[in-house]
Amino acid sequence: MAAPLELTCWGGGWGLPSVHSESLVVMAYAKFSGAPLKVNVIDNTWRGSRGDVPILTTEDNIVSQPAKILNFLRKQKYNADYELSAKQGADTLAYIALIEEKLLPAVLHTFWVESDNYFTVTKPWFASRIPFPLSLILPGRMSKGALNRILLTRGEPPLYHLREVEAQIYRDAKECLNLLSNRLGTSQFFFGDTPSTLDAYVFGFLAPLYKVRFPKVQLQKHLKQLSNLCRFCDDILNSYFRLSLGGISPAGQETVDANLQKLTQLVNKESNLIEKMDDNLRQSPQLPPRKLPTLKLTPAEEESHSLQRLSP
Amino acid sequence: MSLVAEAFVSQIAAAEPWPENATLYQQLKGEQILLSDNAASLAVQAFLQMCNLPIKVVCRANAEYMSPSGKVPFIHVGNQVVSELGPIVQFVKAKGHSLSDGLDEVQKAEMKAYMELVNNMLLTAELYLQWCDETTVGEITHARYGSPYPWPLNHILAYQKQWEVKRKMKAIGWGNKTLDQVLEDVDQCCQALSQRLGTQPYFFNKQPTELDALVFGHLYTILTTQLTNDELSEKVKNYSNLLAFCRRIEQHYFEDRGKGSSSIRSS
Repeated sequence: MAAPLELTCWGGGWGLPSVHSESLVVMAYAKFSGAPLKVNVIDNTWRGSRGDVPILTTEDNIVSQPAKILNFLRKQKYNADYELSAKQGADTLAYIALIEEKLLPAVLHTFWVESDNYFTVTKPWFASRIPFPLSLILPGRMSKGALNRILLTRGEPPLYHLREVEAQIYRDAKECLNLLSNRLGTSQFFFGDTPSTLDAYVFGFLAPLYKVRFPKVQLQKHLKQLSNLCRFCDDILNSYFRLSLGGISPAGQETVDANLQKLTQLVNKESNLIEKMDDNLRQSPQLPPRKLPTLKLTPAEEESHSLQRLSP
Repeated sequence: MSLVAEAFVSQIAAAEPWPENATLYQQLKGEQILLSDNAASLAVQAFLQMCNLPIKVVCRANAEYMSPSGKVPFIHVGNQVVSELGPIVQFVKAKGHSLSDGLDEVQKAEMKAYMELVNNMLLTAELYLQWCDETTVGEITHARYGSPYPWPLNHILAYQKQWEVKRKMKAIGWGNKTLDQVLEDVDQCCQALSQRLGTQPYFFNKQPTELDALVFGHLYTILTTQLTNDELSEKVKNYSNLLAFCRRIEQHYFEDRGKGSSSIRSS
């Protein structure tokens, strides 16, 4: 359990720790289950491998796909599903299958196949993180892989035309988003109050779709209308990922507390000042004197008395 | 089908009631049909039985090529042709018969998710076993797939189909899996189904839905098909409530109507 776990994955942007869905799933799961994971972001040096990312390396093993990495973490006793019942575990598998079948093709299409998005956003982003000359080849290969996957799983043999499947995959993805939104309802996570594997998967697939700025955004618009899914992503980002983006979390928490204290002090000081000013104004000689010649006050005079006191 | 064509079909479908001469086309039962296609066909038959709609099963050697999407089974109703369980369910719904109307939104989401689980894991595992496992391919699949055609067409078609399936497996990441890993996935899937079913008669308590039809189709075919080894059916037999479920549906919907499902024997 003490062996250092290192995760190699694609880096982040637009407020996310990683832009790549599968890497994000693994990172989210590690945060939920408390696994100490050292994240190595792929940059444009020649160090580290780039294929089949995300990759988890420990002293003895190299584990490569998200499902296998999650299994490995569970075996190392980092289990986020500890409190789930058997039926909920079965539901997790089913919903993950639903996401992979219905949502993934449209996400792949939005990122890698839609030409506006690919050439303006995805390709430059990935190319900047891959050393030349691989940066000319690898994004193209990833795009072809995505197109292949979409056509082979959804297209109709033997012609495999993209146009026919495009409309259908977006329709299926919107339906899938609606189903997920119905299932989430108003609760914070999918199974009660603690996050589990399913939350990691949903977050991993939805967050890039939600946050990355694309020119052609029909699926993103649909997602933004489902407010509980957006709230779900934002909650996870704020609670589990905001502090680790800056630095170590306890220090971050302390600075936040210190700032809050200073702010409260300032506000208190200001309100004290305002009170003092008010008192000064009231005691200044410009206001008509309060003391009346007669001690007994008639009701009419009392009324006018109180009115004078109220004016600033 | 494109979206416009689908909308058109469901408009026309809504206009006419279910005819008496609806037919379901699949490949030849004795010699040609394979495990995965038989499972799909049985699922559709079970669904139509559950809806109480009469259907006649017709076996044709070129069923795969007749189908509009290239997949069997497909049904010919009136003058429309619809293939695969998903579109058939929608088509039947347009005619006014539905099994899942009584479910609320969350249950419908669950049902769809479990159907995807079966398609994702069980169906892919069946395809893997038939086309990527060398012993099964050599002894069973090749011989059966091309059996209605003369030489050399039978070999060519079998190799072409194998190449297609292998491409698909590679694209979804199953290309590097070993047979043991695939069987483990099947086990996980059966465990999930068994836990979801629990002690209830059907997945959504009293009434069967299309999920029950789909699960029945796959599990029954796995249990009654003889392959080179029995590992796949052993995995399913570990879960007694799934066996009871299959038996119950078989008794209720198939034996009562005088139709028995015969098991496939390999040559």
